[in-house]
Amino acid sequence: MKVVYPHMGYLNIPINHMLNSLDISYVPTPRITKRTVEIGSLHSPESVCLPYKLTLGNLLEGIDAGANCLVTICGAGKCRLGFYNTVQKISVSKVMSEPFSFYAINTSTGLFNSLYNFLRKASPRSSRITIAYSIAKAIKMLKAIDTMNDAKNYYGPRSSNPELLIDIYKTNVTKLDKCQSFKEIEHIKDQTLELMRSCADETMKPLKVGLLGEFYVVVEPYVNFEIEDTLVKLGVEVKRLVSTADWAYAQTLLRALKLYNEETEHLDGARPYMNYHVGGEGLKTASEALRCAKNGYDGIIHAYPFGCMPEVVSEYALKRITADFDLPMLALSLDEHSSGVGLTTRIEAFIDCLRRRKTQRIRKNAALL
Amino acid sequence: MIKVGIPRGLLFYDYGSLWSDFFTKLGVPTITSSETTKKTLTDGTNLAIDESCLPLKIFLGHVHALLNECTHIFVPRIAQHHKDYYYCAKFAGLPDIVRNSFNIDERRLISPNIESKNLYHTFKACREAANCLDASPIKSYLSYLHALHEYKNTQNLSCKNKDTFVAVVGHSYLLHEPFFIQEIKNVLSAQGMKIATPDQVPPKTLYELSAELHPEVYWQLSAKIVGAAQYFCALPNIKGILVISSFGCGPDSLINEYIDNLILKPSGKPYTFVNLDEHTGNAGIVTRVEAFLDLIEWRQ
Repeated sequence: MKVVYPHMGYLNIPINHMLNSLDISYVPTPRITKRTVEIGSLHSPESVCLPYKLTLGNLLEGIDAGANCLVTICGAGKCRLGFYNTVQKISVSKVMSEPFSFYAINTSTGLFNSLYNFLRKASPRSSRITIAYSIAKAIKMLKAIDTMNDAKNYYGPRSSNPELLIDIYKTNVTKLDKCQSFKEIEHIKDQTLELMRSCADETMKPLKVGLLGEFYVVVEPYVNFEIEDTLVKLGVEVKRLVSTADWAYAQTLLRALKLYNEETEHLDGARPYMNYHVGGEGLKTASEALRCAKNGYDGIIHAYPFGCMPEVVSEYALKRITADFDLPMLALSLDEHSSGVGLTTRIEAFIDCLRRRKTQRIRKNAALL
Repeated sequence: MIKVGIPRGLLFYDYGSLWSDFFTKLGVPTITSSETTKKTLTDGTNLAIDESCLPLKIFLGHVHALLNECTHIFVPRIAQHHKDYYYCAKFAGLPDIVRNSFNIDERRLISPNIESKNLYHTFKACREAANCLDASPIKSYLSYLHALHEYKNTQNLSCKNKDTFVAVVGHSYLLHEPFFIQEIKNVLSAQGMKIATPDQVPPKTLYELSAELHPEVYWQLSAKIVGAAQYFCALPNIKGILVISSFGCGPDSLINEYIDNLILKPSGKPYTFVNLDEHTGNAGIVTRVEAFLDLIEWRQ
């Protein structure tokens, strides 16, 4: 059995590590390229959202590389994500001549249980403790990656050479792969943070932008054309308000301990613009946008796949929030036809607007004094 | 003078009679927006975010038309009423969408939250509706029970018939929207074809069929479509199946692929998909339906 699973940001590092430590053979998912997009869209319904097409492209490329056990996630809800696996299975069976197994990890009945059951099946010889330990380690790694990413986004615009910090981040993230214990992960994380801090001048006050929206699009750098790095290079502090680690942490540990309360937290946060959960990240987007508005961010960027149902609902709320709080927003609706150049131009123009607003405001304040 | 406006869109076509009956029994006069016109669609499109689905744009158009004619607007949030089925995101966020699009006074919006069929949630929803109207919650609940009883009795259905039919399958808010469907119906009846729709079959049959054969479908409205496709494919007097869906419909984008591969193709019956959008020119649709009818004829 050879496992393959779709890409999402740096998710492959902890997951490959987990599979290695449990002796499960897998095909390293080929990096997303133009070809992934092409074969993914070729076998997808036309009007489905972008993550569907790309994850299908990942799986199909994995099959070409010799995989025969496809792993994705599912889970009933209001969003389409839970139904991906059913239709992807149909598409794959049209292409695949040999028998294959398709395993969907169910997020709605508890990510931990479902993931644990899958790993038990895939690696029957590993003990229960080894499996639980490897899951915990993967989450720890994800958290470390997220912290390092946040640090890059914070120190990058405050240093004279943001590209250097991006490089530090990229090389140190790959180093995590070789870590054997929690301590080593912690060590690499601390080292990276220390290094980044030493490059930056913390007295600087760069523009601050919140990046929010749909999970996959915000996290996967191929899809959003490395929006975070682009912003950092422009000297803008970008706060990514969607985090894989927090999600995995909340879904596994907190949920198992019945401490899972992300939903209620955001319900309070999004009032009065949104009063109900709408599936996916819809409610979270609205509540985070409101938080950005109240906490003096210079602008927000809302990234979502074209036609995403929950994000379109929250876009109605965002329109109202940005009008009420006079907060500039750039809405990026991404599909497989988006081009990097077009996107970069829009981001640059947006940042120019924010800069001008800021200097005008400073000038106005000075005149008042 | 209180007057509750009920927009003629989305679930109105399923539950509209129940809703207006409920308010009548509560002693509150209601007004339903008039039928969809070109203007409704244009207003809705201007108000909506471009990527929203067509039925939502029409719904917003209806709300817009009602705003000046009534004191309250009834926009329920229906997220779930069967434990295994969900409604899609736009139903779950409908009151929020309306509130954010029109910036209307909170007190003008009657938006009970329906998340479950159990007694507690039903009573809570009735209380929420009553609160906006200064009515007693008990009276509201009793009116609801009364209206529900009558709603269930009016649903007499029949499709068992020796005639041959073309089945038209899709969301009820598309199939009952004359603005879109009239032309298709005209073409079909001009060729002497009778039309069968999912509403002629008891919903219970459809849901059971869907739950039994396709348990992975978890949207309530899609389960009905899947059940209907399955039901019609098994009937010998159905000559062909026409699936209607609309631009921007999230569930449909996957469900159409699903029923195409797992239900319609294996059944061997002629079928086609018609996708509606706000630019719908009749000529294009007429051509497609006529081609579909030709296909049925050739098969015979």
